[in-house]
Amino acid sequence: MAEVHVIGQIVGASGFPDHSLFCKWGINTGGAWKILAGLREGQTQVDNPQNHEAAFFGHPIDIHFATKGIQGWPRIHFQVWHQDQFGRNELYGYGFCHIPTSPGTHEIDCPTWRPTGSFMETVSQHFLGGGPQLKNPDLIYSGADRYRLHTIAMGKVHLRLGVILRNFDKFGIEC
Amino acid sequence: MEGRSRRRGRQKDQLLERGEDVDGISNPSMDSETEAAYQTFSQTEGESSAAEMAEEAAEAEHLVKDLKTRRRQRKKALSKLTSPKEDVAGELKSMRSTSRQRVEDTIREEEMATLSAEETTTAPIPPATEDGLATLPTDESILPTEEEIKATEASKEEAESIERAEAAPSAEPPDTERSTKEQPGTPRAAPTGAEAGSKPFGQSSMRARMKERLAKAKEEAEGEIEKEAREERDRQRSLRAQQPDSRYDAVTEAELERTTEEKQRQLRLRWEKRGQAPPSDKMTYMPTAEEAFDFFTRVWEPEPEEKKDEDKEEEEPKPSTSKTDADEEETEARKEAKKDEDVEKAEDEKPLLDDADYDEEGYGPTAVRRANITSPDKLQEAEDKLLFIPPLIARPASEKVQEQLEPRFLEEEGFYVGVRPAVSARNKNKMENRLLREPDKGKQWFGEDGEMIVFPDPLRPTPSRPPMPEEVEPYLETVFKKAVMREFDSRYIDGVLDGSGRYQLDVDVNSIMFTHHHLFSREHVLATRLTQLFTQYTQRRSKNMVNFLTDKLRALKSSSLHLQEYILGHKGEMSVVDRTNYEKRLQDYKFEIRQTRSVRDREEQMDRSLIKNIIRTWKELRSVREQQHCTNTPVKLQILKETVDKAQDETQWQMDLEDEVEEAREEHADNYARKMLICNEQMEKWEKQQAAKRDAEKKLKTGRRGSKASKASKGSKGSKQGSRTDLQDELGEAEMERYQEILNEEDLPKPDAPEEFDENAARDQIKAKFMSIRRRPGEAKLYPELSNTMTVTPTSDCPRGEQNRREEVSRCKLFVKVLFNNKEVSRTGNRPLSQEFRVTFGQIYNLRIVQWPESIKFQIYETQGLSARFLAELYAAIPEASVTSQSVQLEEMEFSSDEKLEFGHDAVGSGVPFKFDATASILVTLMTSGTISTSVAWGVNEDGQPLVPPVSQSSVTNLFAAMKKMDPLAAIGATGVVNMEKLSKWFQESRLDPNDPANADLIYLLGSRSGESGPREFFRLEQLQEEFDLCSEADFAANRRFQMLSLRDREVAEFRTAKMVPPFEREIPRDAFAEYERKQREEDRQKQIDDLEGVRQAHSRYVQKIREQVIMRFRLASHQKRLEDMVVEEAVPNIAMLGISLMRLSEPRRPLKPLRKERKKVTAQAIKGDEVRILVNIIRATNIPIRKSQSLAAGGTTTRELDRKPTIRNIAGETMVHPYVEVMFQRNTVRTSAGDGPNPSFNEELELPLKAPNDDFSPNALQGVQDYIYLNLFDEVVVDILEDDRERETAVHQRLEKKWLGNIRIPFSTIYLNGKIDGTFRISTPAVLLGYTYDHTQGGGGDADMPMEQSEEITFLSLFITIEPPLIQPEAVKERFDTNEDEKLMQFAERWQEDLQSLHPRRHYKTSVIDVNGKNVFLTRYFKALKPPPEIEGKANETQQNDFAARYVSLIPFVSDSVVFPGLCDIWSTCDQFLQMLAGDEEEHAVLLTNLFLGLGRKAYLLLGSAIPEGTTAYVLTEDSGEYYIWNSATGKRYSVHDNYCPLQSVGCLVNNENVWANVHQYEKPSQMDFNVNSTASWRPFFGRSNPSPGLGSIQPEALIYHSPNKNYVLDLQEKIEQMLKNKIMEWRSRYITRWNRHCTQIMRRLLPKLEENCGCAMEQQDLGELEESFRSYKVSGFPVNVPFVDLNTIVEAVFSTGVHSQETSDIEFALAVYVHGYSNNVLSIWIYVASLVRLR
Repeated sequence: MAEVHVIGQIVGASGFPDHSLFCKWGINTGGAWKILAGLREGQTQVDNPQNHEAAFFGHPIDIHFATKGIQGWPRIHFQVWHQDQFGRNELYGYGFCHIPTSPGTHEIDCPTWRPTGSFMETVSQHFLGGGPQLKNPDLIYSGADRYRLHTIAMGKVHLRLGVILRNFDKFGIEC
Repeated sequence: MEGRSRRRGRQKDQLLERGEDVDGISNPSMDSETEAAYQTFSQTEGESSAAEMAEEAAEAEHLVKDLKTRRRQRKKALSKLTSPKEDVAGELKSMRSTSRQRVEDTIREEEMATLSAEETTTAPIPPATEDGLATLPTDESILPTEEEIKATEASKEEAESIERAEAAPSAEPPDTERSTKEQPGTPRAAPTGAEAGSKPFGQSSMRARMKERLAKAKEEAEGEIEKEAREERDRQRSLRAQQPDSRYDAVTEAELERTTEEKQRQLRLRWEKRGQAPPSDKMTYMPTAEEAFDFFTRVWEPEPEEKKDEDKEEEEPKPSTSKTDADEEETEARKEAKKDEDVEKAEDEKPLLDDADYDEEGYGPTAVRRANITSPDKLQEAEDKLLFIPPLIARPASEKVQEQLEPRFLEEEGFYVGVRPAVSARNKNKMENRLLREPDKGKQWFGEDGEMIVFPDPLRPTPSRPPMPEEVEPYLETVFKKAVMREFDSRYIDGVLDGSGRYQLDVDVNSIMFTHHHLFSREHVLATRLTQLFTQYTQRRSKNMVNFLTDKLRALKSSSLHLQEYILGHKGEMSVVDRTNYEKRLQDYKFEIRQTRSVRDREEQMDRSLIKNIIRTWKELRSVREQQHCTNTPVKLQILKETVDKAQDETQWQMDLEDEVEEAREEHADNYARKMLICNEQMEKWEKQQAAKRDAEKKLKTGRRGSKASKASKGSKGSKQGSRTDLQDELGEAEMERYQEILNEEDLPKPDAPEEFDENAARDQIKAKFMSIRRRPGEAKLYPELSNTMTVTPTSDCPRGEQNRREEVSRCKLFVKVLFNNKEVSRTGNRPLSQEFRVTFGQIYNLRIVQWPESIKFQIYETQGLSARFLAELYAAIPEASVTSQSVQLEEMEFSSDEKLEFGHDAVGSGVPFKFDATASILVTLMTSGTISTSVAWGVNEDGQPLVPPVSQSSVTNLFAAMKKMDPLAAIGATGVVNMEKLSKWFQESRLDPNDPANADLIYLLGSRSGESGPREFFRLEQLQEEFDLCSEADFAANRRFQMLSLRDREVAEFRTAKMVPPFEREIPRDAFAEYERKQREEDRQKQIDDLEGVRQAHSRYVQKIREQVIMRFRLASHQKRLEDMVVEEAVPNIAMLGISLMRLSEPRRPLKPLRKERKKVTAQAIKGDEVRILVNIIRATNIPIRKSQSLAAGGTTTRELDRKPTIRNIAGETMVHPYVEVMFQRNTVRTSAGDGPNPSFNEELELPLKAPNDDFSPNALQGVQDYIYLNLFDEVVVDILEDDRERETAVHQRLEKKWLGNIRIPFSTIYLNGKIDGTFRISTPAVLLGYTYDHTQGGGGDADMPMEQSEEITFLSLFITIEPPLIQPEAVKERFDTNEDEKLMQFAERWQEDLQSLHPRRHYKTSVIDVNGKNVFLTRYFKALKPPPEIEGKANETQQNDFAARYVSLIPFVSDSVVFPGLCDIWSTCDQFLQMLAGDEEEHAVLLTNLFLGLGRKAYLLLGSAIPEGTTAYVLTEDSGEYYIWNSATGKRYSVHDNYCPLQSVGCLVNNENVWANVHQYEKPSQMDFNVNSTASWRPFFGRSNPSPGLGSIQPEALIYHSPNKNYVLDLQEKIEQMLKNKIMEWRSRYITRWNRHCTQIMRRLLPKLEENCGCAMEQQDLGELEESFRSYKVSGFPVNVPFVDLNTIVEAVFSTGVHSQETSDIEFALAVYVHGYSNNVLSIWIYVASLVRLR
């Protein structure tokens, strides 16, 4: 009956080719975890910074877990999307990271990647926008054979997460 | 031996220098020369001293051997490098060449032997070959070294060789000449040429020549060696370096020798000759200073090596010194060259620094000099001298090849040559040119083909890495998605927008054929009819039912006969059962025969009538043709007659006749027997009855007599006896009664005996039948034959009318529109109508669809000129998935048009009655009709695959969906089922067929359960999970803190406000969940129990269901934040605002007219519980009814006593009424002080606390508040209860009583949503108010134009209500809902609305609303004429009907949308949903009322506007003969538009099923408006000329289903309400005794239904009179309350608010009557009559 309370924010994203971004996020856990309160997934606003090299979201994350065990420690995954000047949205990157297992505030940079398509797709993407997306977005956090996937590194998503742990010591888990 | 070994050596050489060997033919001179060399050698061997020769040969051999070994080494090295193939090829080649060589050698040896010396002299070529070698100084250097070796031997034979050469002098000179001439190409060759030339010239001996050859061979070898080994090159270079020195030595020595020799030869002629030639050669050589320079630089270049060379030189002094008589020619030439060199050297050796200058200018420390400038030309020159820039031009291959004359191309010869690495030509040329400048002309760098020797390209053309399989795992697959703007709704087929799906419908519009057209002439009509009849005829004939039935009849007869015979024959043998069986079968047969016969008769009759009809029509047609003097149609009928044998027919006829008669007889016989039986039975009964009657009659007579006697005896005899006789008497009487009964019994009819069979009659009947339906015997058989062979009269010959008609036909064109989902997708071209009224299109339209097909429609249009006329519309079925364009067949679809058309010419028109001719009596009316042949099918792509969208709409994209597919429970739709026990139990109980494949999934699932073999084994993904669990699932569930947290998160009402949850479970109070759990339980119970309010419950459950659905749909939307929620931007004050505020300063101050200021809104978070108040400011009331004077009205009098006007007022100053207003909200009451008189002015502000549910003042919670604010108007009556008059002076003992006069009920939601309510309201007063009347003299409204009656009865209250502090109003979800409407329409609607809104921002315009499905629906779709409930039939006139409709609608409870759907926007439900829910707000009421009015045939509109107190609302507007009325649908009240007291304040727009009209009047008050929607100045229609109505269908149901009210339920409810109210009143006044006056109740019960009948309006006089009569001795105050039925609580609340109970005394009686009137669909009207009675003292 240990509890994990994650309070923090998605600070922003940087290093992307363009910074008119928004971000879809979700938290994935193992079977032993139960959400007591808070939203498991969400989407930030579109930030279109005029004179910054990064997009800032300041999107709050506040989720309270109760857990039976430590397997399947929660991890947070992202899809960074780009909104072009026509208001169309296209995928810019996937990324995921684990929620820190030690209490306290953590600054996390989550690197993202994006699948590359065929040559024609790249050309089409360059002129028309859009882009290849994973058919199965669960791949972002699953450890399948990803080596065959061709990807391009995109920017980073910055997180500031405060983690509060409770009752883990009761079960002999030192955090 | 020597020769052979030598040859072998050669062969080895050849191996290496293949090119040379193989090219035996290409340079034969070479070969022949070498051969010659051998020859000479061998010859000389013989001639010269053997020892010398041997020595020489040995030396040569040694050299050769040395060479050979080197070559072998080289070869080995090479073979490693060269490809084996090349090697093998080379080997082969060499083998071949050696063998050939041998052959040649032998031949040549022979030849040579014969030819001897002469031959040898013919070999002057060596110089030529030497040319190539000698060109470079290195070669020259080699040459001497080799020559040195030979020098000694050569010298020995000099003399001899010279002699020999002399032997053939004539041949040689030209040869040498030639050789020199042959090699003039390069100037460089010149000196060598000279050199070479000098050789034979000088020596001209065989020996010398041989020596040369040897040298040459050596040189070759040398060249080879040089090419090969790099380390050797150093040595070579050293040799090269030493050469000049050695040569110098040699030259000096040779010079001496030469001079002596020359002297010897001076005599010779040839010498002279030759002597002339060389000088010239030398001269050409000498001037090339550059060459010389080069020569020197080359030689001197490697300075440090020189020393080494010198060392070597010292080591090798012997050969050089031993060199005795070197070739003079060479040395001669050299000598001269050396001279030049010496000169140059001398120049070079000049001091570089010119000391002369220095000397000239003295030895001063400084000297002025000219700038030392070297001219660029000079610099260039110097540079040119110093630098070598290889030119980029390509050199011919011949230059690069060394000894050979021509380059060899191995590739051309068929060898494989490796691919050279790609080098740019420029680079290659540069390198080649550089190499060519090398001393040995880079010969070791060039191959035989003149190309540089290179290793083959090491790069492989194919990759060496094993190929990787390209298929991507499904898990890793990526999809290319386009950048998306928005999502589409479900109308779109999945995947279409991604481009993954392509679906196509092929619509084929083939042709149209008219069966009637308005341009038909009469003849056409007949022709069509004829054609139709004929097709019918042919169809029938092809079926030939008559024959079939006749055959059947025959077969049946024969089998029945057979059976009959069988039965007769085997009667004895058959058992009883068998017999009955057989008889039954026989009966069946007979029945069958009868049936078949009747069918056949019918068929025959039809056939016959058909033929008759055909003939008749044809006759008519002919007459028409004659009449009109022309033929319009090619139809022609021919009738073929088939004559028949009359006799045969006759017999057949007779036979049939007899047959039938026989049958009839049989049937009759059967019938007869049965009837006879019945008859006999009846007869028996009848007889019995008759007998009984007779008997009874007799007995009765006697009985009467007996009774008389007994009566008589009764009087005389004592009572003792009397008892017995009485008994007897009674007995007799009973009997007598019985007899009487028998007598009275109706006589049974005497049965008639069944008739005998009348054969003649039957025969006649059958004959008659035959005559009518059968061909008579002898009559010819007729076969009509229709053909289109008649010639149509040309137009010119036709009469005028017909010409016109035809012209019109030819002008007539048709086209067909194809509509997909009600959108036109394509249309055919205009095709002319043929004279046969047939149009062929033959077009197939391929529709690529992205939406699910909903409808496919064809619209047929006819054009004449420019205008198109709509003819008909018909729907095509959406094809099944299996129907593709390959398999589809054309379908004929019929259509017709109800259009009316009439023409002046001969055309008959359509929908218009016409006659075929003037005399004909029948009028015919025909509508345009026809058939269209079309087909709709799914398209097929090139591969033959149908382009059908997938059946299921759910997209199966991921693995999990596929996994779900495998789930058997999901397959049977029981995903949630966990209880396997129950499932298996159910499975066993329901006895499903286990073999049914549909149940396979279940069987599989339960398969292992049947064995009950322990727990099922599952594959676990998270193995060992349980072992590592810290706690169990149950702990989770039990943890109250977790529960609380998650409940709070789910925003469950009870916990929503729990801001803090304790950190420890123990701190959570035990009862925290009590309420929540109770509610849960209640909900469960509500679902189960069906109590008295069950019907009502059903409705509320439905509401609940809808509500849940809607809430589910909107919850997500409401949680989504919009920009305004996040960003609060206050308008930046600008200069204009500043100006306004400045202006305000200058405004005149009006302290007596304070204006309400806008207050700041307070957010929910900032509010503490008890702060929020409702402020009610009651200003004044007008026209309050006044008390009837006590003295006058002794009893209860009514307001309605118009004849008895209250003229006498209480002059004593006693007020007529003391009204006050009591405001009640959430059971809190406040009241104003009592006013005085019927028009009091209160001006009081009242405060009421607002209790929000769970102290949650968020908009969501507040919207759910269902409470009403009751504003009750009471009259305060002071009752003096002072018992003792004596105390009057000293004591005051009074009781205040309040009498309810009326109320206003305002839902809290109205206040909340509107922020404030301000205005004058009409108080709803009861229909009957006992004890009060209106003061007509004062006149409340007093408007002159208002009818007196109306104004006098209405009481008004002016008030202002608001909430303090102002709360934030909920904002409707401003999401753009998706819609099924046409995109264009919605856009237009938006624009239209915006336009209007900008013109009149305050008016309320609406074009589309949201339905319960959360979709935007265009307003006009809500309207449709609907049949009102059946009760309306009882209403006499239109006004009553209208009133009733309004009343019916008003009785449906009013529930605000914000209550039903809190937090959501206004949702409009359709009428059937409304009636199902039995709850709705203004819109639903108004829509229903409008639809009912439309159903009654009235002209009605929905009126959107704003009213008080509702705010934005919907009313109904009706037009009645120019008068417009406004109906408040929620109350059922009607107002004239001119009524000033109409609550409607502003009109926004009018809507009905056709259009939306927006109010663009200057004014918006209804009384100021003109409601004629056709005037465009005041009304702007939505669908106008520019935007024609697309004919939107209604979303309302076809018809409303009314079910009659449940009587029992109504009665039950009535009782229950009465009981409950009585209890409640007693409970409310628990301190006093409550007595009920039954009598009064009775009267009131009678009154109430009448009130209901009159819709609560009028009250009959006598009814009230009765009431008054009965209670003269009482002071009665009471009133009927009428409410729609929502639930019991509201009724109680309504009664409570009247305060009837608050009569704080015991000596009072109450009367309570309840009447419930049920209308259709459980719409209930509830009347409650409460009265208090106080006995008058």
